[in-house]
Amino acid sequence: MDADRLRESFARVAQHGDNVALFFYSDLFLRYPQTRDLFPVSMTAQRDRLLRALGKIVAEADRVDELAAFLRDLGRDHRKFGAIADHFGPVGESLLATLAHFSGADWTPELAADWKAAYELVAKVMIDSAREDSRHSPPFWHATVISHERRSFDIAVFRVAVQEPFPYRPGQSVAIESPLRPRIWRCYSMANAPREDGTADFHVQLVDGGTLSMPLVRGITVGSRLRLGPPTGVFALPDAPRRDVLLIAGGTGLAPVKAITQQLAQLSDPPQVHLFFGARDANALYDLAELEKLGATAPWLTITGCVSDDPAYPGERGVLPDVVARGGPWGGRDAYLAGPTPMIKAMSARLRSLGVPQDQIHLEDFGWSES
Amino acid sequence: MSMMSRAEQRLTPDVVHSVSFSAARLGRRGFDEEHVRAFCHQVEEELVMLLNERTALQEEVNRLRRRVLGRAADDSEAAYGRDDAHIQAVGILSRAQQTADHYVAEAQEYSRHLAQDARRRRDEILAEARSHADLVLEEAHRAASQAAQAAMAAPVAEQEGNRRELEAELAYLRTFSDVYRTHLRAYLDALLRNVDEWEHAEKSSLSAVRADLPRLASPGP
Repeated sequence: MDADRLRESFARVAQHGDNVALFFYSDLFLRYPQTRDLFPVSMTAQRDRLLRALGKIVAEADRVDELAAFLRDLGRDHRKFGAIADHFGPVGESLLATLAHFSGADWTPELAADWKAAYELVAKVMIDSAREDSRHSPPFWHATVISHERRSFDIAVFRVAVQEPFPYRPGQSVAIESPLRPRIWRCYSMANAPREDGTADFHVQLVDGGTLSMPLVRGITVGSRLRLGPPTGVFALPDAPRRDVLLIAGGTGLAPVKAITQQLAQLSDPPQVHLFFGARDANALYDLAELEKLGATAPWLTITGCVSDDPAYPGERGVLPDVVARGGPWGGRDAYLAGPTPMIKAMSARLRSLGVPQDQIHLEDFGWSES
Repeated sequence: MSMMSRAEQRLTPDVVHSVSFSAARLGRRGFDEEHVRAFCHQVEEELVMLLNERTALQEEVNRLRRRVLGRAADDSEAAYGRDDAHIQAVGILSRAQQTADHYVAEAQEYSRHLAQDARRRRDEILAEARSHADLVLEEAHRAASQAAQAAMAAPVAEQEGNRRELEAELAYLRTFSDVYRTHLRAYLDALLRNVDEWEHAEKSSLSAVRADLPRLASPGP
């Protein structure tokens, strides 16, 4: 199998952009109509993900270890969509047909054999990983909403009871699906350290026009059912933190940060922790009261809420990077950042300029499942 | 290898879709973000359309080529025909999928606009309510102070000085609450009217959308 030849071939095919994925899915659905039910009505995001995944696999064909880790995650993640081993044959057929179609006269028997070998390798890693995962985890978890609270115009906090045992590390996230939007999965972080009773909290900010956030904020009520995918993400504390900790949350980025805070509270000798929670206005500091309650009983924990867009706010005012910078120095701390991407970017650049080494800055990550 | 590097430089719909421009430095003039985004969207669609057309033409060339070759070997004609039919079916299904994608995207865009409007409206109402409240308080205070001064100025016997102060205080409070109540009532009435109008507007726009829907459901030609 010749990695360069595959890359070259893929670069040519990928020139056709969205059409490649469009052809692939149409071909697959025509050959195996039952596969259509595995996907949402709109396929725009799905096509994008297929192309990105293919691009990544081809680009990293030489770096076997990284690629294998990615493929194992992908295999595990695909379990929530159904029996994956049965789908690999049909998918392979359609993939080869698609590549052949867009390669035109360049499609030689050697190239076809290379692609077939590469696909079989990818499929094997994914299937093995899925099978391994099925020994100890269900493909997805059934959850029932047991409380649902609108904290502001567009933020909801809800709690679910998860039926099966649901182990995860504080800071991790899961893909959620609601029967109100079948086959649309979106990632949210658990907002609590794992509890014995198997309940988990989620914080949801309504995204204007958002496909899933709308029903999660306005549609679901106590008793609603949800499905949760496998917990993913490496945004998590080490078991025994070696440094003091700086936690920074913008908006509902508070969820994973709150989970980490609860985990710290369970340590026998917690490090010093400063938690910054920022939002546009006081309304959006939807969980500050509860955090301050926790802070009042924990001498190791300092809480700072700040507001950027309301000059009348009585507490700290300004955007998070400015407010955090005023509270420094932070060079000796491990920093954990979660929130809107622009905030995260600005904040982590600011921390570096304040002398926090790159490897002490940890960013929330939603893994591959997020589209 | 040269093929690959050339291919990598090509502008694809995906590149246009995910392009991001850095913001102009403070004090520098920049373009309207919505405008740029809308234009990029247009470019992306145009590019997809051109690539579609190219693929279709390539298909046609291949088909004709196969037909020419097929004449030489009659027995494989049937197989080529089957392939043709499949490719055509893929094309039809792809167009149907794109239509569905388009409708979903439009619905999402519509809901995004509605939510943004609602948010802006809320902010305006809150800001207006705040400044109005400040005004009302100020005016109530002014009116009440005048009432109190009038009470202080009223001629009374000297031993009643203490009582006069209490009366002034009473006059202040009474006037303050009167003015405040009147304003509050007028303001709340206006607010309720506003909400009614809003609901009405929303209902009529919704029924307008519904009126559009049967067109989609009606049987095609």
